[in-house]
Amino acid sequence: MTQADTLPRFRIGIDTGGTFTDIVAVDAGSGAMRVTKVSSTPSNPAIGLVRGVHRILDDMGADVADVAGLAHGTTVATNALLQGRIDGLGLVVTEGFRHILEIARQAVPEGYGNSYFWVKPARIVPLRYVREAGGRLDFRGAELRPLDEDSVRVAARYFRHHGIDAVGVCLMHSYANPTHERRVAEIMAQEYPDCTVSVSCDVLPEYREYERAVTTLVDVFVKPHMARYLQRVDEALGAGLRERPFLVMQSSGGVASADQVVRKPITTALSGPAAGAIGSAVIAKIAGFDNVVTLDAGGTSTDLCLIEGGAPHLTNAGSVGPFPVRIPMIDIETIGTGGGSIAWISREGDLKVGPRSAGAEPGPMCYPNGGAEPTITDANLVLGRIPPSLIGGGIPLDVARSRAGLAALAAKLARPGTPPMSVETLANGIIEIANWSQANRIRQMTIQRGIDPRAFALLSFGGAGPAQSAAVMDLIGMTACIVPPNPGNLSAFGLLAVDWRTDHIVTKVTSEDAADPPAVASLYARLEQEATDTLRRDGIDAARIRVQRQADVRYAGQSMEVRVDAPGGAIDASFLERLAAAFHAAHRQTFGYDYAGQQKVEFVNFCVSGFGLIERPQLPKLDAKAGAPVASSRRPVYFDGTFRDTPIYQRSALAPPARVAGPAIVEEFGSTTAVLPGQYLVVDPHGVLIIRSEKRATQDEATP
Amino acid sequence: MNVHPQTAKAAPWPTAPQRPAVAVDPIVLQIVEGTLNSIEAEIEYAIERTARSPMIREAHDYRVGLFDRYCRKLTGRSYSAMPNAVVRDFPPETMRPGDIFLMNDTYLTEGSIGHLPDLCSTVPVFHDGEVVAYIQAFGHHDDIGGRVPGSMPGTARSVFEEGLAVPPVRLYSAGVRNDAVFTIVKRNTRVPEMLAADIDSEVQACVMGARRMAELFARFGKEAVEACFQAILDRCRDIYRNELLPKIADGEYVWEDYVEHDGVSAPRLHKLALKMIKRGGRITLDFTGTDPQSPGPINWPADYAGGAFLIKWIAPILRNLADTPERAAEIHVNEGVCEVFDVVFPPKGTLITPEWPAATNARSFVLLRCLGLLAGVVAQAVEGRIPADQETIRYTGFFGNDRDGKPFLSREVIGGGSGGRYYADGNDAIHIVPDSRNQPAEFTETRFPVLVEKLALATDSGGAGKRRGGLGYDKHYRALVDCRTIVTADRVRLGCYGVNGGKAGAPFCVTIYPGGSRDVASPSPLVGEGRGGGSGGFGTAAPHGSTPTQEGHPLPSPQGGGETSAKARVLGGLVDGEPVAAGEIVAVRTTGGGGWGDPLEREPELVCQDVIEGRVSPPAARDAYGVVLIAGRDADEWQVDAAATAALRDKMRRERGSTDSMIDRGPGYLEMLKEGAAPKGV
Repeated sequence: MTQADTLPRFRIGIDTGGTFTDIVAVDAGSGAMRVTKVSSTPSNPAIGLVRGVHRILDDMGADVADVAGLAHGTTVATNALLQGRIDGLGLVVTEGFRHILEIARQAVPEGYGNSYFWVKPARIVPLRYVREAGGRLDFRGAELRPLDEDSVRVAARYFRHHGIDAVGVCLMHSYANPTHERRVAEIMAQEYPDCTVSVSCDVLPEYREYERAVTTLVDVFVKPHMARYLQRVDEALGAGLRERPFLVMQSSGGVASADQVVRKPITTALSGPAAGAIGSAVIAKIAGFDNVVTLDAGGTSTDLCLIEGGAPHLTNAGSVGPFPVRIPMIDIETIGTGGGSIAWISREGDLKVGPRSAGAEPGPMCYPNGGAEPTITDANLVLGRIPPSLIGGGIPLDVARSRAGLAALAAKLARPGTPPMSVETLANGIIEIANWSQANRIRQMTIQRGIDPRAFALLSFGGAGPAQSAAVMDLIGMTACIVPPNPGNLSAFGLLAVDWRTDHIVTKVTSEDAADPPAVASLYARLEQEATDTLRRDGIDAARIRVQRQADVRYAGQSMEVRVDAPGGAIDASFLERLAAAFHAAHRQTFGYDYAGQQKVEFVNFCVSGFGLIERPQLPKLDAKAGAPVASSRRPVYFDGTFRDTPIYQRSALAPPARVAGPAIVEEFGSTTAVLPGQYLVVDPHGVLIIRSEKRATQDEATP
Repeated sequence: MNVHPQTAKAAPWPTAPQRPAVAVDPIVLQIVEGTLNSIEAEIEYAIERTARSPMIREAHDYRVGLFDRYCRKLTGRSYSAMPNAVVRDFPPETMRPGDIFLMNDTYLTEGSIGHLPDLCSTVPVFHDGEVVAYIQAFGHHDDIGGRVPGSMPGTARSVFEEGLAVPPVRLYSAGVRNDAVFTIVKRNTRVPEMLAADIDSEVQACVMGARRMAELFARFGKEAVEACFQAILDRCRDIYRNELLPKIADGEYVWEDYVEHDGVSAPRLHKLALKMIKRGGRITLDFTGTDPQSPGPINWPADYAGGAFLIKWIAPILRNLADTPERAAEIHVNEGVCEVFDVVFPPKGTLITPEWPAATNARSFVLLRCLGLLAGVVAQAVEGRIPADQETIRYTGFFGNDRDGKPFLSREVIGGGSGGRYYADGNDAIHIVPDSRNQPAEFTETRFPVLVEKLALATDSGGAGKRRGGLGYDKHYRALVDCRTIVTADRVRLGCYGVNGGKAGAPFCVTIYPGGSRDVASPSPLVGEGRGGGSGGFGTAAPHGSTPTQEGHPLPSPQGGGETSAKARVLGGLVDGEPVAAGEIVAVRTTGGGGWGDPLEREPELVCQDVIEGRVSPPAARDAYGVVLIAGRDADEWQVDAAATAALRDKMRRERGSTDSMIDRGPGYLEMLKEGAAPKGV
């Protein structure tokens, strides 16, 4: 027996979704990968998680001793925020700022004149549970007035009296000097030890008091939920698994230990989608694409994310539901259309598709016990774009019911005295409307971020994506449409492909002229130490730790910063010059111009990200097979206004370097890919499907 | 649409045919409409990303419009300029692909541009060699010359003080840039590089939008796309005709509202008069009786293109008649609405029909007041089922030299409370421009030598009502150096009106308080105070200033000790550099929204909640709402004394007699009338 055989071999990724929990295991030695699915257990997701781990171990004939580590994507924080009733929260602010949440940023959602009828939603903390603490710092962190400790004690007793057991603390300029906030936390602990407390200097030491306060409140709200959940996971894992490293995916696209996550759970607000974005980036890179838009279409909604230069875009101006959450997060935009989106008629008599959705319950009309209104899935079924059964043939779909629903809709839509349009015309129209809507949103998202989508590829996954995304690619004129292997398990795969990550930031507004290299050096040294300590606490070997300095920089007088990478090495005058130069370049890249040599810059936030590098899983190459691929069957599929006899391929039978001309359908467990007339599909060496339009390919070849 | 009688003649732009060439395809309609909205958003994103001036990038003061070849606005999330003046001067058959037009002249843009900083670019869209649509964008640019930096001279008496006026000209001719225009524009602004870059940004974004629009025509064909345009316009018209107008009883309704300041004369009531005539599916808006144009810059040249701009600007007010606020938000107002309204303008020479060269840079006072003017007239026609008044735009700021001797200038637009509605209280501290944000205090303090001592809602500023008006700001800035303060605000004496028995909100007020000791070791003397401010048009009204400075209320005792004999100074609405000494506190209290409905009908529990949350003071709960509260152990534990409340309310009802007034303007109105500040005839 060699030593390799005795070491634990399997790294397991578990992505908990609303309906299914996806599990991926990778053999660290061979790179072999195995996937499975179990039903999620929403009342206690830990049960589904552990069930899934045991299922995949059984499938592989392995046991818990073979597990090297677990990585988990969870929606516990997201669900708590979006579905739970948010109450029992309190907030401590600086004297004079009690109405900070009521005033917010004075903004009314889009639409001129909406201020007349818009109703401001209830604040995350009712005003009576916002209490003031005397004392004041200035923006440099200098104390103008000492903390009034009595006022803090009064607030603590008030919270206890009213049963408020989770309190956020956000004092003016605490990013520049945390001592007042820390003292508030100490007093809270003395006066009211059962209360959960988050202080803003820990959660988000960055200027902008309103956003910092809300981010801190979201953190303290999620804290007990996350602690309880991870406790349950720990119990459910049991002896053998409990001792293995257990990592949780963060919104920033890195993992952290459960211990870290409990301390600052807000970092997991977008845990699940972040894993999908990371998985996409890895697959796209393997397939040779650095710049892609990912499209993850589920039953009720579709998530879009930009990957540029091989890495997902991050934002530090994101939000979760209505709450601004200003920590680094994968930049994800959600559209309200998915496979379950309903086609309906508005009160003006217009045909609409979404955002109303039949979701998974009751689901499309064609599902067993399906809904009463036709959906995008029903339209795809009627056109033959998806197979007449669900999940690999297990559950038959009711085509007749879909047709009847669409026929009824067509009759309602027809003008008096004119015949209704055919079921196929309507079904095709519903899909066209959905495709245009997705294409428009992709255009908006990319333009907003300064990117021309025509230079990007589209990577499609999720149950409802690949049936339509080749059409979306053509509408925008994107370079290619990529469908990864196991498109339903991409998020779980992504969990195994990410490094450990920890982010540290501090605001210190410093003008270029006044910047003092030793002072900047000590700031970075402190942040680097914090990052390294955090990773070491999680048991990461020093040799695997990398730190990356960044800074948020702006032109003096602007209020928008751009985050840029800062050079490594010694911090001297030349460091600051190079940092300023990096900002000018990034500003030009982002906005199309810069003021290099004309305007001075200000360094606003100094940031350090610490990474603990892992072994990335290798996507195994498939065995090549010569000759044309063989269709498993043929069926009529509606394209360009008529049913065409179309070959159906099983994905498992497609080996590289197969090339298939459209129209064609590729079926696999949980997903269907449609290749349109005028398009072709190739299978790359790793089994990734790449669809291109013949016309665009010819153009690209003509223009080197 | 109707033009005022003396200028009624054929419009110099093409008129749409009655019926489109083909029937609309319901699928193409959804695609076209979704794509039009997307193009508008794409252009906005592109501008926001590439423009340079803070007014555009940060204050979001720019608008995009998509128009058909008959100059009809197709999208309806917001107002926009209009291409009519371009088409008037450059007939479409003379346009060539690559032509781009520029304009900002307030008297030569058919009423679509209100002040000179709003330079507007127009790009025609071509299909099969003919013009089929227009794409337009304008932004509020930082400076277009004139007497003062920023080109908004509050005391201007003619357009010649306001900057460079550009009638429609070709900025690009068949793709070739007209450098002469750029040369002239750049020579006439204090920020030539920034302005040129802004124009580039807007032009490039419009060109991208024009390409997207042309793709739509190429994909579906001209007839199909134009049938969709017509259907989109018809839908808006029909929603107004079939859903909103039936809520208004046929008849004639009259009302007037006022602007208090014109920048050059003593405050007085500048009247805007409106008679609304509703007959079946049409409404006529007659502005006859509006006061003469002002010698100052508040004039709004609106009497062009049949009032098309004005209609699209104020018609959205009628969305408030929708069954629910959610439904109101769904209704987008495009050119279709112009088929429902006629406008009768008074003869030339009034506030809304000014004659060149009357100054216009501060026309937003009149423009914004017209929203409330229509709401006030509609209130009478719908038994008060319309929101009470709001005023959410004004500028405040500071300038001087900071501690290092470097000059600084801070400017901030801070909002106010919105009016109560029959279904909800007004919103606290909001701004009418979507996504226009206030400055974080931590930003303000980092950038300027001031300390924000208080960022709060002004207690009792919301007009009393069954549904209370939203609260304005009570924001206190302590000056850390000797400097000066600037204020541009209206509704300083007249509060935002209340509707249907609701009371007016507290007016705008700026007060300078001596800061106590000259350092910052003690908090603002006003922090923790009974949160002063006006009461909702009731009882102890906010201090009013009829001149820019006057002696006002004495200083409340500062907590940290200090001079207590000093007096507070109350400033008016137009303050141009009032000195502020280091340590002094400038307290800005913005307008509360008007109340809706009888305050004596407000649920006592809600009043109690308002008191607990500091929105209403205990005395105002009693005096304005007739609610008697019992104090609890803690300072903010209160309970309703139900019996005493019922008795007090009965007494108040008996004593006040009948309350048949639909609209309450607050005590400031009567005071101004008494002072004889109103023009003769009111």
